[in-house]
Amino acid sequence: MTSFMPLTTVFPGLVWAMAALALVQVARRAALWRVGAAAPVAWLHGLAQLPRRYLVDVHHVVARDAYASRMHAVVAGGLLAASLLTALAILPPLAGSRAYWLLVTVAFAVTAAGSVLVGARRYPVKQKRLSAGRFQILPVLLLAYAVGGTLTALMLALGAGGIALPFTLGLAAAGGLGLAFEVRQGPMRHAVAGALHLAAHPRPGRFEGRPDTALRPLDLGAPRLGAEMPADFTWNRLLSYDSCVSCGRCEIACPAFAAGQPLNPKRLIQDLVAGLNPAEPAYAGNPYPGGREGQGERGPLARLIGPDARIHPDTLWSCTTCRACVEECPMMIEHVDAVVSLRRYQALERAALPEKAIGPVTELRQAGDPGGRPLAARTDFAAGLDLPLIAGRGEAEILLWLGEGAYDLRYGRTLRALVRLLRRAGVDVAVLGAEERDTGDLARRLGDEATFQALARANVATLARYRFSRIVTADPHALHALRNEYPAFGGHYTVVHHTALLLELIRAGKLVPQTLPDLSVTYHDPCYLARYNGETEAPRAVLDAIGLARVEMARSGKRAMCCGGGGGAPVSDVPGERRIPDLRMAQAAETGAGIVAVACPSCTAMLEGVTDRKAEIRDVAELLLQAVEAGR
Amino acid sequence: MRIAVLLSAGRHPVSGAAVLPRLEAQAIRIAAGLGTPVGLHAGPDAAAVADALGQGLSRIAHVALPEGADPVPVLAASLRAMAPDLVLAGRRGQGGDESGIVPYALAAALGLPLIADVVAVAPGEAAGTLRLDQSLGRGALRRVVVRGPVVATVHPDAPAPLAYAFGQARRGVIEPVAAIVPAGPAAAPAAVEERPYRRRPKLVKGAPTGGSAAERLKAATGEAGAAASGRLLVDPDPDEAAREILAYLRGIGVLAPPSPRPNP
Repeated sequence: MTSFMPLTTVFPGLVWAMAALALVQVARRAALWRVGAAAPVAWLHGLAQLPRRYLVDVHHVVARDAYASRMHAVVAGGLLAASLLTALAILPPLAGSRAYWLLVTVAFAVTAAGSVLVGARRYPVKQKRLSAGRFQILPVLLLAYAVGGTLTALMLALGAGGIALPFTLGLAAAGGLGLAFEVRQGPMRHAVAGALHLAAHPRPGRFEGRPDTALRPLDLGAPRLGAEMPADFTWNRLLSYDSCVSCGRCEIACPAFAAGQPLNPKRLIQDLVAGLNPAEPAYAGNPYPGGREGQGERGPLARLIGPDARIHPDTLWSCTTCRACVEECPMMIEHVDAVVSLRRYQALERAALPEKAIGPVTELRQAGDPGGRPLAARTDFAAGLDLPLIAGRGEAEILLWLGEGAYDLRYGRTLRALVRLLRRAGVDVAVLGAEERDTGDLARRLGDEATFQALARANVATLARYRFSRIVTADPHALHALRNEYPAFGGHYTVVHHTALLLELIRAGKLVPQTLPDLSVTYHDPCYLARYNGETEAPRAVLDAIGLARVEMARSGKRAMCCGGGGGAPVSDVPGERRIPDLRMAQAAETGAGIVAVACPSCTAMLEGVTDRKAEIRDVAELLLQAVEAGR
Repeated sequence: MRIAVLLSAGRHPVSGAAVLPRLEAQAIRIAAGLGTPVGLHAGPDAAAVADALGQGLSRIAHVALPEGADPVPVLAASLRAMAPDLVLAGRRGQGGDESGIVPYALAAALGLPLIADVVAVAPGEAAGTLRLDQSLGRGALRRVVVRGPVVATVHPDAPAPLAYAFGQARRGVIEPVAAIVPAGPAAAPAAVEERPYRRRPKLVKGAPTGGSAAERLKAATGEAGAAASGRLLVDPDPDEAAREILAYLRGIGVLAPPSPRPNP
């Protein structure tokens, strides 16, 4: 071989051949993405932002696992550098330089070291969260390419030749062409699909420092509502599912997976991939707990959800929409959007809500409250308190949005504490009373977009009649809907969580709490406040202002674990082996704190419902009131 | 099987919003399990029952009637034309301009049997028959096999309504049907006095006032009480059965005691 073509041309030629093969494989894959629906993508902006999104946003997530972060930097950096340098050696001046080949040798050696790091996660024993299957041969291919490349380049650098060269080159070719082949439906797909996904991300706002978490409104005039089959997703969503690298970080974060409910976010995304592509290799990660194997038809037009289809409905309804998987995903996949799209089709076109959720959603539609309770009874909790209706005055400095928690006797205590604090601080506050309908959060997370939009329009029309400067609510679900999702329906409000307002009042000196140093507390972040809205500091600052001994749970802030109360999960009630709130209270018990501070009616109800609880459940407002009244 | 479900413009018991009454939504669920039912509504506006299109019906026949007109003659005429094997209705109204009397009046006008308070309907073993499960309260059921057509009213213990699906609702059709007979005169409003319903305490007749709670419960629920004193007649002679029924009705004071002289 070397007799009629110099090795300094064959070796770079191998890299060019790899690139050509990878391109062919990507093109074959891209044909599948094209079956998806159209989506507006700002390509130029996305491509320009690609390096920043990768180096800042992706790295921020990857770096949570220090080993994986180092491993990826070494192996991916080495692979790219070595391949690029070798490809450039097609230029004769470079090909003739021994120093250049020494540089190539170093790059390949770095790749080889990285390949060993990749292999160490899988051999002799694979880490539990990783997928096996084709991912198991990835370190072998990497190592073959890197070692073959190192030896070949080294011999070129030394000017040595002879009998060994065809073997080292053959080793590099086997590994390198194998890697390029894997770009279509193997592990290396994540590199190409991931890069394109970063440029064409359906939620570009999340790279610009704002929590881009509001569900997109559904056009209720569309021919088909929601996603029934892979082709119903937009093409860049299909692309995003292809970028999944099966690392399993999502399944570790998923509360439903931990509770043994039949949901595994990784498996769900892989089922969407496998549903799109009938030739996809078999899934080789952890299954849906207690779930069944994927079955039924596959292909862009195959039904995805059904007792006899790829994904069982119980999997779909287990999701609490807590976004923990999205927060942990290094490939920036939006799992919750996929779940809601699939739910929308089930609810709007098939009437296939879970049996137990039908009642609450029907009452929500007919009576404006999921419990079918009289709207006028929402203020019953405030009996004896001075809580004016805004209807009698037309305006107020602060409109207090009560939410569904107001009907709950336990949460009524929290709201009473909040109202008393606001009164004590002299805040001009009023409520809508019987004019306040539910925000429709439950219906929206369960996919009943029609009911949500009707409630949103009704609430926006009600709010338009009154003048107020801010809305304050103690319910993060209502906060998220009002602040982030109502703007699409013409309602633009400044919405503040009660903990943020209380902190403001403390800092302004309007509330003067005494300290309660004898109490030890751990704060449980509500998903819809921390992950959906990025607010983790105000509640902690209020607790610190009271002088409590505050300890953090292992999972806190934006990485906190869900209480199990979101996304309609309590009304869907999919059976599991354990209960999510039990798991969370066990985590709270590990801190040894006597009080679990909460800031959400759902969390209060879920955590207080745990049997054999060792810690008390107190809302931040209740603790603050105790501290303020301790001074009297 | 042809099935008609009578739909009425009800009101939500709490919010007062115009809704499909729950019993009728349950009737649709029963009907949807048997075939492709058609809704039938007589009233001024079909929008009042359009929700039924999202809860399992794909077609509603609407007979336009002026406000307050008696719907029974036009419903009866429409049902005669449709000739369904089964007519399902709710057992009572739900707050709107409707009445639980309508199914009875329709059954009388059509000369059909009425089976009240059904919770399940299935085709019978013999062709043309229906097997209906009637609720007798407290979970007790009675299975009835009838040869159709038949009018049946639905009991709240029937399976819960189907979910409302917006996508299905927008595909459903409301077909205007011309009234075959002229609408009857509006019911004289002065003839009936309307009062809001007030829940009244229920007296258990013959319940012991003293004794332990367990004894009172026993008396109220059977074993020693009125329920235990009944007699079960299996396949009785019709004359004997009639005598027993009359004796029972006289015993509880519904019928006057027999007059000493037989009527001429």
